[in-house]
Amino acid sequence: MSVYAASSIQPALQAASSSDGAVSSKPGATAYESHCAICHGEQREGILPAFPPLVGIQHQMTDQQIIAFIHTGKGRMPAFPKLQGSELTALLHFLSTPALSASASNGNDNAADVHSSSMVEAGKSLFQQNCAFCHGRDAMGGETGPDLTRSKLVLSDVGGNKISEVVRDGRPEKKMPAFNFSSQEVSSLAAFIHSQEKKAASMKGGRRGVDVSDLQTGNAALGEKYFNGAGTCAKCHSATGDLAGIAKRYEGLQLEMRMLYPRGAKSHVDVTLPSGTKLAGTLVYQDEFVIGMKDENGTYHSWKTKNVKFHVDSPVDAHVELFSKYTDADIHNLMAYLQTLR
Amino acid sequence: MKFLKNVFVVAIGVLTLGAVPCSLMAQNVDASMLLHPPADSWPSYHGDYTGRRHSKLTQITPQNVNQLTLAWAFQTGRSGEIKSSPLLVDGVLYFTIPDNVWAVDARSGQQLWHYTYPPNKGDHIGQRGVAIYKDWLYFATPDAHLVSLNAKDGTVRWIVQVADVEKGYWSTEAPQIVGNHVIVGVGGDMDNLQTFIRAIDPETGKTQWQFNSTPPPGTPHTATGGTTWMSGTYDPDLNLIYWGTGNPTPVLTGSTRPGDNLYTCSIVALNPDTGKLVWAFQPSPHDTHDWDAVEIPVLVDGTFHGQKRKMLMQASRNGYFFVLDRTNGKNLLTVPFGPVNWAIGLDKKGQPIPNPKKEPSPDGVLIAPDEGGLTNFRSPSFDPKTGLFLVDAHPSWSIYFAKPADGTYGWAGADYGLWGKGVLEAIDYQTGKIRWSHELGPGGAGAGVLTTDSGLTFTGDAHGNFLALDTANGKTLWHAGAGAYIASSPITYKLDGEQYVLTSGGSVLFAWKLPSTSR
Repeated sequence: MSVYAASSIQPALQAASSSDGAVSSKPGATAYESHCAICHGEQREGILPAFPPLVGIQHQMTDQQIIAFIHTGKGRMPAFPKLQGSELTALLHFLSTPALSASASNGNDNAADVHSSSMVEAGKSLFQQNCAFCHGRDAMGGETGPDLTRSKLVLSDVGGNKISEVVRDGRPEKKMPAFNFSSQEVSSLAAFIHSQEKKAASMKGGRRGVDVSDLQTGNAALGEKYFNGAGTCAKCHSATGDLAGIAKRYEGLQLEMRMLYPRGAKSHVDVTLPSGTKLAGTLVYQDEFVIGMKDENGTYHSWKTKNVKFHVDSPVDAHVELFSKYTDADIHNLMAYLQTLR
Repeated sequence: MKFLKNVFVVAIGVLTLGAVPCSLMAQNVDASMLLHPPADSWPSYHGDYTGRRHSKLTQITPQNVNQLTLAWAFQTGRSGEIKSSPLLVDGVLYFTIPDNVWAVDARSGQQLWHYTYPPNKGDHIGQRGVAIYKDWLYFATPDAHLVSLNAKDGTVRWIVQVADVEKGYWSTEAPQIVGNHVIVGVGGDMDNLQTFIRAIDPETGKTQWQFNSTPPPGTPHTATGGTTWMSGTYDPDLNLIYWGTGNPTPVLTGSTRPGDNLYTCSIVALNPDTGKLVWAFQPSPHDTHDWDAVEIPVLVDGTFHGQKRKMLMQASRNGYFFVLDRTNGKNLLTVPFGPVNWAIGLDKKGQPIPNPKKEPSPDGVLIAPDEGGLTNFRSPSFDPKTGLFLVDAHPSWSIYFAKPADGTYGWAGADYGLWGKGVLEAIDYQTGKIRWSHELGPGGAGAGVLTTDSGLTFTGDAHGNFLALDTANGKTLWHAGAGAYIASSPITYKLDGEQYVLTSGGSVLFAWKLPSTSR
């Protein structure tokens, strides 16, 4: 049984006591000491339950939110409207200094190695807390989330330049939330994901995930027959038209998933206003109360659904109707056929 | 500096005491109060022990619900979603996100205190709420500890370790109080771990008993796993608690764990005083699709095909709706409530028989529902007047893969969702037939369901709209945009003669009531 007090938070790295980055952090540390430490603790550990800890505040709030707190106060927290300019910037920088860089001080001669291995360690810890549930603890895929070590985006990412976008914006259409991490934290996440990518590539005897070679069990001739027959694919698609060269554009799992359900396919909507005016465009939003579309000029229009007549045409729904009709062999055959369309 | 700190703590202590709403008679949350919760309380995860998430309150009606207005909103200021069901005791609400507990005045939405647990390594996937017993709250942490807090000020009484985070355990569930037991469970299916349900002494934090879902790792030809991450229900007359258990591990491959893999994906009936198993029913024998059977085991007393029954109903993640006799676990009804393609029939116990050809394969198998399931952890609701079981359903399709190279540890395979949508299904429990459906939008909704005696159903859609529907026919009577994904189940209570409905959207809690003048 381990018992510990709520305030026994690991001490955050004191900028003043670290050789690394001491110069840039010093004014921030001073600002913190004079304005904040009395309530939030010398090491940002907080005094619970009254005063919250500020360690990690940068991924709970945006800089803007933190500034709003500082300038207007909240509840028992006084306002500090005079905290402005370089002192404010320095304080924000100090608040974003992660406790994690404390591990960088563990003795090692090669400074660059210390940096990168501590980045990976820091990224690993962040990843375990925030990403592992969906992407797996080793980033090789898990509940809901894809294997990141073979993601095209990850493979083309350099130092977090692409990963950061996905982390910050999320992928709302896939229910991936946006995360409010600092640049340093995103870099550490990217470092961890890339280290896992290297690890995965060197794993013996194959690994988790779906290889192009896994998806070669079908019969292309039967797939073609299904395409033109029972599958009714030819009603909308053509091997020499929209699907010509499809296997050059997509391969493996990506091709199979697009074949089964092409995410992001557009729906067309025709709207008749009470005046009789007719509009048509691409569906942007629809719930039971509001319908929104973009017309051919790219202008957005929306109406209450009860005020207009409308008709939505979603050709992609044909893919949904097929789900209950496919056998697994149909899918493998169809996949084999599509792979011949080069 | 130390002196100064102490001064501050004392000063705040006084402030906090002054802020607690005055009530002449405190609601002493003990075993008997939990059996008969008053209308101005919501003292446990489901509001009562039945898990029906149904309220007898009738002030808000199908006729006046279109006047519903915002009483207040509480901003947590965090990026995480509220997945917890708030508790209400003595006019104070308690709710959580991982590592955080808030106490908020239920009349004004003002914060009384906020507790934060120290930064820790555990999985921060969700937190479903606290339990309360007398003046103490019980809070499960991502690193699988149980924290007992003083409900008055959020100070820590004790913290005990429930399981070892280093081995891969975490905790998300709202503990349940039964008698003088704090019943807790654990999460952790990324590793091959033995999991359990445990009773903890509410005063000392000491373990009273433990029921293991599965044998220890390394036991030949058996599964590990069977996580226990949701609050169960309780029948005081039978003195049985009903708990759902999660999927077996390794998750997507069954090669090392032949057979049914008891007690994974099961509903277990335990004696709350001893932890002894009385009966078990397994919604998903030999699961290879991650379909935890932890969805709320809802307790209903009524007639089934003309005969009086004490029933247990579960709309399970695997796509089947089950009605059981909860005295002995015997099956009364098993019917899918949406597209399901992984079973070849039912065994004589009424349990689906998994199709071996639908186990994850190297070249992939098409599976309905997807891994998130035809429903997930947010509460369904049972409406006694109409006999409807209302559940947030997620018709969906996916592909599942597993090959020898994936190994037999942890996830051991890969699966990919293709398509899904949200539908509120109103199931007639006598037949399993869908009496009405209400479309909730693309992807899936995920909001829980609350019904009231006046004939209202509260839930949310995939776009983040809060909805009030007519329970009789599913028609929309009121809505309001939350501006974010709705990830919790609504609650309701009456204070000062006014009925409130509480919903969350994203990280904000919203309290709704009728305008004071309209009554």
